[in-house]
Amino acid sequence: MSIQVDAELVAVAGRAPSRPSRRLIRVGDYPVIPLAILATITFVAIFANQLAPHNPEVGILTARFKPPFWVAGGTTEYLLGTDQLGRDVLSRLIFGARISMVVGFTAVIFAGFVGTMLGIISGYLGGWVDQVVMRLTDTWLALPALTFAIFLAAIVGPSMWNIVIILGAVYWTRYARVIRSEVLSLKEREFVRLAIVAGCSKWAIMRRHILPNVINSAIVLGTLMLGVVIVAEASLSFLGVGVPPPQPAWGLMLADGKQGLMVGYWWLTVFPGLCIMLMVLSANLLGDWLRVKLDPQLRQL
Amino acid sequence: MALQRRISNQISTASSEDGMRRRDLLAAGALGLAAAGAPGWARAAGSKPQGKLTWALHVSVPATWLDPADTLGIISPFMILYALHDAMVKPLPGNSRAACLAESWTTSKDNLTHDFVVRDGVHFHNGEPVTAEDVKFSYERYRGAAHELMKKQVASIEALDKRHVRFHMKKAWPDFLTFYSSASGAGWIVPKKYVEKVGDAGFKQHPIGAGPYKFVSFNPGVELVLEAFDGYWRKTPAVKQLVMKVIPDEATRLAALKRGEVDIAYSIRGELADELRKTPGLKLEPVVLQAPNWLYFPEQWDPKSPWHDLRVRQAANFAIDREGMSKALFLGYCKVTNNAVVPYTFEYYWQPPKAVYDPEQAKKLMAEAGHAGGFDAGLMYCDSSYANMAEVSVNNLAAIGISVKLQPIERAGFFAGYTNGRYKRGIIQGASGAFGNAATRMASFVVKGGAYCYGSYPDIDELFPQQAGELDPKKRGAILAKMQQLAHEKAIYVPIWQLGFLNGSGPRVGHASFGDIPGFAYTAPFEDITLKST
Amino acid sequence: MKRYIARRAGYAVLSLFLLSVTIFLFVRLTGDPAALLVEPGAAPGDIAAIHHQFGLDRPLYVQYVLFMWSLFHGELGQSFYYQTPVMGLYLSRLPNSLELASVAMLFSLVIGIPAGILAAVHVGRFWDSAGKLFTLLGLSMPSFWVGLLLILLFSVYLGWLPSSGAGTPWHLIMPAFALGWYFAAAHMRLTRSSMLEVLGSEYIKLARIKGLPQILVIAKHAFKNALIPVMTLAGINLVLMINVAVVVETVFAWPGIGRLLYEGIAFRDFPVVQGCVILGGAMIVIVNLFIDIVYAFVDPRIRLGS
Repeated sequence: MSIQVDAELVAVAGRAPSRPSRRLIRVGDYPVIPLAILATITFVAIFANQLAPHNPEVGILTARFKPPFWVAGGTTEYLLGTDQLGRDVLSRLIFGARISMVVGFTAVIFAGFVGTMLGIISGYLGGWVDQVVMRLTDTWLALPALTFAIFLAAIVGPSMWNIVIILGAVYWTRYARVIRSEVLSLKEREFVRLAIVAGCSKWAIMRRHILPNVINSAIVLGTLMLGVVIVAEASLSFLGVGVPPPQPAWGLMLADGKQGLMVGYWWLTVFPGLCIMLMVLSANLLGDWLRVKLDPQLRQL
Repeated sequence: MALQRRISNQISTASSEDGMRRRDLLAAGALGLAAAGAPGWARAAGSKPQGKLTWALHVSVPATWLDPADTLGIISPFMILYALHDAMVKPLPGNSRAACLAESWTTSKDNLTHDFVVRDGVHFHNGEPVTAEDVKFSYERYRGAAHELMKKQVASIEALDKRHVRFHMKKAWPDFLTFYSSASGAGWIVPKKYVEKVGDAGFKQHPIGAGPYKFVSFNPGVELVLEAFDGYWRKTPAVKQLVMKVIPDEATRLAALKRGEVDIAYSIRGELADELRKTPGLKLEPVVLQAPNWLYFPEQWDPKSPWHDLRVRQAANFAIDREGMSKALFLGYCKVTNNAVVPYTFEYYWQPPKAVYDPEQAKKLMAEAGHAGGFDAGLMYCDSSYANMAEVSVNNLAAIGISVKLQPIERAGFFAGYTNGRYKRGIIQGASGAFGNAATRMASFVVKGGAYCYGSYPDIDELFPQQAGELDPKKRGAILAKMQQLAHEKAIYVPIWQLGFLNGSGPRVGHASFGDIPGFAYTAPFEDITLKST
Repeated sequence: MKRYIARRAGYAVLSLFLLSVTIFLFVRLTGDPAALLVEPGAAPGDIAAIHHQFGLDRPLYVQYVLFMWSLFHGELGQSFYYQTPVMGLYLSRLPNSLELASVAMLFSLVIGIPAGILAAVHVGRFWDSAGKLFTLLGLSMPSFWVGLLLILLFSVYLGWLPSSGAGTPWHLIMPAFALGWYFAAAHMRLTRSSMLEVLGSEYIKLARIKGLPQILVIAKHAFKNALIPVMTLAGINLVLMINVAVVVETVFAWPGIGRLLYEGIAFRDFPVVQGCVILGGAMIVIVNLFIDIVYAFVDPRIRLGS
């Protein structure tokens, strides 16, 4: 498999083989901290309605730019301050978790499903099907992912579910390439040949013998892609072509906070970014760990 | 200043009357101009232009803005045209139809011909005199906004002699002057001989006009340099050199203004404007654009919709906190006129009663209409660059029980959807800075068949053809006022405001000329701009 | 080998062709450029005139053929907005992009390589952990957020650096850091792993047995060999940086080609968008082709296998 030239995967390609030196981050054998962070975010996302102290989309114009409660001028009513329309930052962060989670997971699953299917079909059937899928992949990869996404966003218009579809449509190629190369080597393996001899149909082989053997790689890749997808969503929202206002997407909060930043309203920039970072960090750590656990083959990626 | 305004008013009032008195007044005008140099001005009359001022523009200048023939139906090109070129008739301070390269004009009784007299002794930057041939050439060469419309109405243009031009109409067209003087670039004059020599492309590379500033250099997307034209008819500009730098990022413009790298910065909004206002030595320069914003209810013609009920639309009108919104988003510099689609600077504008913010009254009306518990109004569509305003409106409507979800769409997509009738349900937040007068706005936004209409009312519709054929401005104004009043009473729209446009100027600037021409967004006229006297 | 290269080159041309068709159609789906050039409420005739001027009233296939025709002549058409050749616009922005990308790259190597070596030499100890934290943060913090934090610290609070724009070396520092950190992290990871690989190899063991001092082993033998993959990656990344910098360019108002493309999409300036995408795509496709060929040289199984 050749290196996939693409900004996101450079990081994956550059990853070191895992060394037993993760004590700082991992307690025991499980990545406790990332799991805890992701669990917390999931919890917050699910119970956003119960947890958020204010309506995230409705503000009070007279209460604009209140700083967090520990800063002079802040009140405990708005623990993390308010934004340019007087909306509670904490509540927006809480509901933003829901958007990030939903967009992140569904986009990864969508891209993973399409990419894995096409990867299997392309790798196993070979011939013109393979050619079509691979040329399509090449073309897709010649457009930087973000540019491509900006484009699609301009075409279909902004909405949360459109973003999911866009990210899926952009990132399936990452799965397709990896899965295809695995299928190519699986195809030569004994059990697949036996199945062919036994008269199994192509589709049956793909479903019963190939798919179970690539699913681990797909899961590992999916976890690693989660971080990439969340950053991509945030970037799109930041550029104003992602999740539309007034929905409290973290990237959109960063974009809205940019003007205030110049005047020193730091809380509008620091908190949403922290949330994105924590989530992506956890996804990356979890992905690294899963890779080692589930899929020794991918270690060499 | 005041004196000069008065005089230029007089000149143009005179100009539409008769030739003899006008010339006398013109002489007075020339004297007045010399005298206008006196109080508060950095420069004595007749002195040489000196010094340099630098602009930070918020948009890139395309080469088309250097050529009046390509003027699009947006205000931006005029930011350059006012410096480089001059028009026969154009808005000047205190007079939206001031005689410039034309020293006078007359309209025949039957409205079929318009005669213009070219001002005596005006020259282009290359020293050639401005002649009737140039006027004819510039009009015929014009290919920008509204040129099709004008072609449809104007039969021909004729240069009678060196200084007299006559426009022949196909039939009486009361809006001719509106379009020739301000709603298009057709009245802006370029030198025929020069354009024919260098061609269109050559002209854009080195434009020559009759404006107060002449072209020095242009680097697309970077900067435009201009130099004072000593022979400008109105007066010699005070500032020797103008540099117009393109700085697309708002924060960078403000930073450059603070550091003294630029003297005038366009478009500084929100918190940055507040910062600008607080910075010593800098001056906030707010203007009001000819761009009203509004909310529109496309469902009001559907008897099953809650918006069909006038009381519900009135309730929405009471629900919007315009002043609060303006304070929060534009430091309070938007102008609440309560006329939804016609800017107050337009001809035949009708002033509605004051807008009232009264959520209690709104709730009462809602209850009367049988919506005491509120209702779900679906989506509110808006241009994503105005999403912050729409967010406030959504909040305001929610406060009286109308729940609506914001759907911001990028500008191109939004206006395409708006005109294609795609937003049949919900609410539309619209805006328009198009040129014209009350009649053109009515045609687009209120009357049956208008590009932005989702329905209309027959009593308004039947007034429209009446005013279109009415040659008496007074009678026509009355009909148009009636139409605007009906639109207001039927609450077809919720008017929001005319958008405020916030700019800044630095310590070197004496008079920046922002807002001198009502409804105009940028600095103009350039010859009035001064350095601070030291 | 020749056949392999020829086939790969064929694929490259094919994907560029597909890219041109894709982008040509996509950009026309994004909306009507005329809607952005006139005020809402403009006469329909004005809009038709703009369509005619831009050739948008012609059938699609004619537009496409004209586009390809100009492409083969090394031109990219006229920008709708600026009314100047797209190639000129692109070339006027490219130096800015190159400047930003080279400084970001320099930064990522200057930080990434020594940190990677340190981490490899001190596996499991402080430097390794510190390096890991650095890479994890670099890979997890969105570059635009890094940029915003830098602005907050160095422009708003300390007032040391200009928050946006271009022109002086001071303007470059923050965008280069924001863009470079992600890549520094990637370069550090690769340096570390390839250093570990080299340090575990027979000839290094031999050098150690010969009694050479640790520093010399690392500097003379291990480093040189470990550097090859890192430099290869860096070369590829340089091309990528130019093409993925749009978000950082937006934060710092940096006038690079990322912004040009983004503004092109926002203005519906079809020729600008087509031009930027085709040129960027060509860069990436050529790099891909180059990698394929290099790998085929290194590993014969690739060219024989496929």
